[in-house]
Amino acid sequence: MTTPTWGEPAGPLTNAEFATATQAIMANIEQVIEGKSATVRLALAVLLAEGHLLIEDVPGVGKTKLAKALARSIDCSVRRIQFTPDLLPSDVTGVSVYNQETRDFEFKPGAVFANLVVGDEINRASPKTQSALLECMEERQVTVDGTTYELQAPFMVIATQNPIEMEGTYPLPEAQRDRFTARIAMGYPDPRAELAMLSGHGDHDPLTDLRAVTDAAMVRRLIATARDVHAAEAVQQYAIALVTATREAPEIRLGASPRSTLQLLRTAKAVAALEGRDYVLPDDLQALAVPVLAHRIIPTADAQLNRRTTDTIVSEIVHRLPLPHDRARNPYDTRDGRTPTSYESRGR
Amino acid sequence: MTGRRRLGLIAAAATLLAAAPLSSIFDSWTWLFQSILTVVLIAGAAVAARTLRFPTWAQTIAMIFALVLALTWIFPSGKELLIPQPATFTHFADLIRQAGEDTRSYGVPVPDRDGLLFVAVLGIGAVAIVVDLLTAVFRRPALAGLPMLAIYSIPVAVYLDSVPVFPFIIGATGYMWLLVADNVDRVRRFGRRFTGDGRDVDVWEPSPLASAGRRLGMVGVLVAVLLPLAVPTVSGGLLTRLTQSGSGIGLGPGGTGNGQINLFAALSGQLTQNATINIIKVRTNEREPFYLRFGVADVLNADGVGNTAPRGNPMSEGLADPSTQASTDRATYTEYEAEIEVADGLRQNMLPVYNYPTGVDGLKGNWSYDGGQQVLYSTKSTTGNQKYKVTYLRPRYTAAQLRTAEPLDESNGLYREFTAVPADEAVQTRVDELIEDEDTDYDKVRAIYDSFSSKNGFKYNLSTQNTGTASDIAAFLQNKSGYCQQYAAAMTWMVRAAGIPARVAFGFTRGTALDDNTYQITNRNAHAWTEVYLDGFGWVPFDATPAGNVQGSTRSSWAPDVESPAPEASSSAGAAAPGAESSAAPGGVERPEQANDGGGTALDEGVVPDDGSWTPLLVVAGIALFLAILLIPAFRRALLRRRRHAATTGGPAPAVSSTSGVAGDITVTTESARAREDAHAAWDELIDTMVDFRVPVDPTETPRVTTQRLVRDNLLTDNPAEAAALLGRAEERARYARQPMQGAELTAALRQVRTGLAGTATFRTKARATLIPPSVLLSWRLTIADQSGRAAEAMSRLRESASRFNPRRLLSRSR
Repeated sequence: MTTPTWGEPAGPLTNAEFATATQAIMANIEQVIEGKSATVRLALAVLLAEGHLLIEDVPGVGKTKLAKALARSIDCSVRRIQFTPDLLPSDVTGVSVYNQETRDFEFKPGAVFANLVVGDEINRASPKTQSALLECMEERQVTVDGTTYELQAPFMVIATQNPIEMEGTYPLPEAQRDRFTARIAMGYPDPRAELAMLSGHGDHDPLTDLRAVTDAAMVRRLIATARDVHAAEAVQQYAIALVTATREAPEIRLGASPRSTLQLLRTAKAVAALEGRDYVLPDDLQALAVPVLAHRIIPTADAQLNRRTTDTIVSEIVHRLPLPHDRARNPYDTRDGRTPTSYESRGR
Repeated sequence: MTGRRRLGLIAAAATLLAAAPLSSIFDSWTWLFQSILTVVLIAGAAVAARTLRFPTWAQTIAMIFALVLALTWIFPSGKELLIPQPATFTHFADLIRQAGEDTRSYGVPVPDRDGLLFVAVLGIGAVAIVVDLLTAVFRRPALAGLPMLAIYSIPVAVYLDSVPVFPFIIGATGYMWLLVADNVDRVRRFGRRFTGDGRDVDVWEPSPLASAGRRLGMVGVLVAVLLPLAVPTVSGGLLTRLTQSGSGIGLGPGGTGNGQINLFAALSGQLTQNATINIIKVRTNEREPFYLRFGVADVLNADGVGNTAPRGNPMSEGLADPSTQASTDRATYTEYEAEIEVADGLRQNMLPVYNYPTGVDGLKGNWSYDGGQQVLYSTKSTTGNQKYKVTYLRPRYTAAQLRTAEPLDESNGLYREFTAVPADEAVQTRVDELIEDEDTDYDKVRAIYDSFSSKNGFKYNLSTQNTGTASDIAAFLQNKSGYCQQYAAAMTWMVRAAGIPARVAFGFTRGTALDDNTYQITNRNAHAWTEVYLDGFGWVPFDATPAGNVQGSTRSSWAPDVESPAPEASSSAGAAAPGAESSAAPGGVERPEQANDGGGTALDEGVVPDDGSWTPLLVVAGIALFLAILLIPAFRRALLRRRRHAATTGGPAPAVSSTSGVAGDITVTTESARAREDAHAAWDELIDTMVDFRVPVDPTETPRVTTQRLVRDNLLTDNPAEAAALLGRAEERARYARQPMQGAELTAALRQVRTGLAGTATFRTKARATLIPPSVLLSWRLTIADQSGRAAEAMSRLRESASRFNPRRLLSRSR
C-alpha cells in the first residue's frame, strides 16, 4: 500500500476541471443537506485547505449527516469515532498488541488512520482522549510506543459537538480548539428546505444512496490547486491585521494564534478557488473571519457578563478594521461625516 | 469668590485695558488715574450689589450711582459736599460743552483739559458699566467687545491715518482675557472623553486632545489677529500703518510744546462744523481789508506743515513798526484802525488781528507778541468774548515793486529756517520745471502760484480728508483735489523748494460785508494761505485757494486770481461766492483716493491713478476674484477628473488576458502595470464621485461591497449598475489578482455611474457636486489635518527633547 504523503507533488487542475470536481462534490452533499449550500461550501473549503472542521450546533440539525455526506462523497477511507466518556486514547490512535506468532508487538492502527475521521460528540470524551487527537490533527502523524506512524493524505477530522448539553461533557481545551480550522454552525433549515427534507427523507435515508463522486487522489489535486491561489500582499496584510485586532481588542482575553492566520489565509484560498477565482479577496477573509477565528478566542469576563459572544466580537472587528491598501490613498470615510481618525468622545 | 463676582472684576480690568488707546489722545496720564478710580468704584459697587443679591436693575443703578459719585469727586463744581447737587450737573453740562470746544481747537495729544478729562472718564465709566452688565449679568462677554470698541474708535476717528497699534493690542488683550475667563472651562473640557467613570477626572489632566483644543484656540486667535493685517483695506492695511510714524495730523510742532493748538486741526474743525456760527465782527476804516490772521505754521517736514509755539515779549512793551525795519521798509504803509469783536464761540489763545498791528486796546488778560510770526498770543487768556481796537499798518506794493526784491543770501537765518522741505523728488522736479524761465523771486513765486489753476486740474473739495503729512501734500499735487489747507501747504512747499522762504498763515477771510465797513466773520471763513518772504517787503501773502470757492476771498494786485482772464488786481467780494462749496460739511469718513495706492508710493512712481474710474473696476475685479476663489475646488475637481479619464482611456487596449487556473508567475509587464494604474485611477474617481454625491464611503469595505452598496442604496439600475460592478471588479483585480483586468471601458463606466448618481440625487446635491465638490474640500481638509498632525508631532518631539534641559528635572534627578 502506497501511502500518499503530505507535500507529495500533485498536479494542479485547470479552472474547469476544478469547478467540475468541486461542484460534483457539493451537489452530492446537497442531496442530503438541503438549503445549506454556504455551509457545505465552507466544509469543502476546509477540506481543500487541509484543515479540520468542528461542527457545533444543537442536536438534530444534521451535523453528523453533513460529516457523513462529505465522507461518502469521496472515495476514500472513512472512520467514525463515537466519543463517549469511557473512550480511551488508544482507541483513537491505535495500540501495540503482542502477536504470539511473531513474538513481537504489532501495531493495530486506531480510528484516526483514515482519510476522513468523523468524531461525533467530541466533547463527551474525557480530556485525556480528546488530547489523543492533538498530534495527529496538527502533525498528521501518530506516535505510539516511540514509533511514529504517518497518516494518509488527505486527512481531515470532522468533529461535531453540542453546545447546549453540558451535563457529562468536557469542553474542548484551548489547544484542541486551535487545531480546528473552522467551526461552523448548521442552523435550522428554512421552511422550504425542511419541507423538501420531509418529502425526501420520508421513506428512506438518502445517505444510503449517496455515491462517491471523487477519490482521494483527486482531492489531493484539488488541494494542490487551492494552494496555488494567489494572495496579494495587501490581502496577507489584511489577514494579519484581522488576527492582530483580535489580540488587541479590549474585550478579548486570548486572541487568535499565528496558526489561525495561516489557516485563515489557506481557507480563503480554498474559498476563492471554489468561486472560480485564482486570487484571494479581502471579501473572502471577511466572510471567513467568524468561522475561522471566533472559536479560538476567549472573551474577557466582562464581555462574557455582557453576553457578548465571540462571533459578535469578531464580526465587529471585521466591520471596524479599515482595509489595507497597497498604495497610499486618503482614508476617506464619510460614514457619518467624520474621518477615521476622529474620536468617539463628545460631550462638554 | 463666586464666578459672577470674579467675572465682574475681570470685566473692570478688561475695561481699563481696553481704555489703553486713549493714551495716544492725552498728553499726560491724569485720565488714567481718574479712570482707574472711577472703574474701581463701579466694580466695587457691582461686587457689593451682587454680594447683597440685588436684582439686575438695582445693580445697574448702584453702578451708575458710583459713576456719578466718582465724577463729582474728581470734577467738583465747588458747591457740593460729597453728594452731587443740582449745581454739579450744571457744571457737568458746562464741562461737556467745554470738551466740545476743546476737541475743535486742540490737536492730539491734548493737554489735561477738564472738559476732555471729564468726557473721557464719563465714557470709560459708562463702558465699564455696560461691560460689567454684559459679562457678569447677561453672560455675553463677546458682546462686551462692542462698547470696548467704542473706546478704540476715538483714536481712530482722531488719527485719520495712523493709529498706534500697541494700545490696541493691550485693549485686545483685555477683551481676550474677558473671553477666556468666561470660556476657559469650555476650552479645558475640549476633547475630554465623556465616560461614566471619568466624572471626577481632573480637567487639567494631560490629554493630547485637550492640548489640541488649547492649540486650536491659540491658532484661532493668531489667525484672527494676523489675517486682517494682511488684508488690504480701502485706506491701506494696518501693516502700512505700522510702518508709518505714530503721530497723526500734521501737527509736527518741531519737537516743541505738545498740547498746543494744532492750527490745521482747528481750521478743519471750524470748516467742518455743521452749524454756521458768527464768531467775529470787524469794523474797520480800511476799504476791502485783507484777511484777519492769528497764527503761522512755519515748520515743514515729513509730518507735514506744523507750527512752533510763538515766542515774544509782553504786549505792554509795544509792537514793532514795520516801516522802520530794514526787512520791510520798501513797502508803503497806510495806517488803519479796526474794532474787532470776538464772540464767546471762539476761544483760542491766539488773537485774530490784521498784519502789522501797532497797537491793541481793550484786550483783557496778558498777551504777548511774536514779531517774527506777527502773532499775538496768550498762555492763559482766550479770545472768547473779547472786544478790542487794533491799529495796524497795511503795506501796499505792486508786482513791479516786488520784482525788485533780491534773493536772500543762503547764509541768512530766515533762508535756512524757511526753505527746509521734506525730500521729495517729484515735487522738486515740478518746481524746477515751473521756475525754469523765471529770474526774480517774485516771478518764481507767481509761476508756482499760477500753477494752482483749474486749467491744471486743481479742484476745490472740502470733503478731502487730507491728513496733512508730507506724503499727503505731495499726493495733493497729483490728485489735485483739496481745500485751503492743501493749497496753502502745497504752495508753501513748492516756494520753499524754489529756495524762497515761505510759511502758512492761518486766519479768516474777509467774511460777509454787513455795510460799508463792517464785516461778519463765521466759522466758515476760517482759512489758510501762504506767506512768502521777499526781502525788503517782509512776508507777502499769496492765497492759492480758488477764490470762487472761499467765502470772502480776496485777491491782490501782486497775486491776482488765476482763474480770471484779466491779470489786473481784482477782488471777489465776500458775497460774490454764493456757490461756495465750503458750506458742504464733510462727513469726515471719506478717505483720500490716493490712499488706495499708498500715498507717497504713487508719487514716487509717477503713477497718477485717475480717481473714480478705478473703483468700479476694482469692485468688478474683486468680485471676479472672489468668484474665482469660490470656483477653485470645482476647477481642481475638473482637472483631476480629466487626468483620470485620460489615464483610463489612453492607449489601445489589448484583449482580455486569460486568467485560467493554471498558475503562472506574476508578470508585471508595462501593459498590466498600466492597466492596474488605470483601474486605480478609475476607482479613485468613483470614490470621489461618491463623496461628491454624498454617498458614504467606508474604508472597511472592499471594492466589491462598496459597489454593491452603491447600486443598492442609490437605486442604480441597468447600465449604471453594471458599470459600477465593472469598476469594482477592475479595482479588485488590480489590487489583488495576478493579472489586472484589461481592455475595459472604464471611462464610459465612470460616466454612466455619474449619470446614474445624478439621476437619483437631489438638485442641491447635484449643484454642490458640480460647484463645490465635497471630495476636493475633503481631501484638502485631510491634507491640512495630516500636516498639522505632523507639525504637532514634531512640536511634541521638540518639547520632549527640550524638557531634558528642564532645570526642575535636573534637580529632581540629583536628589
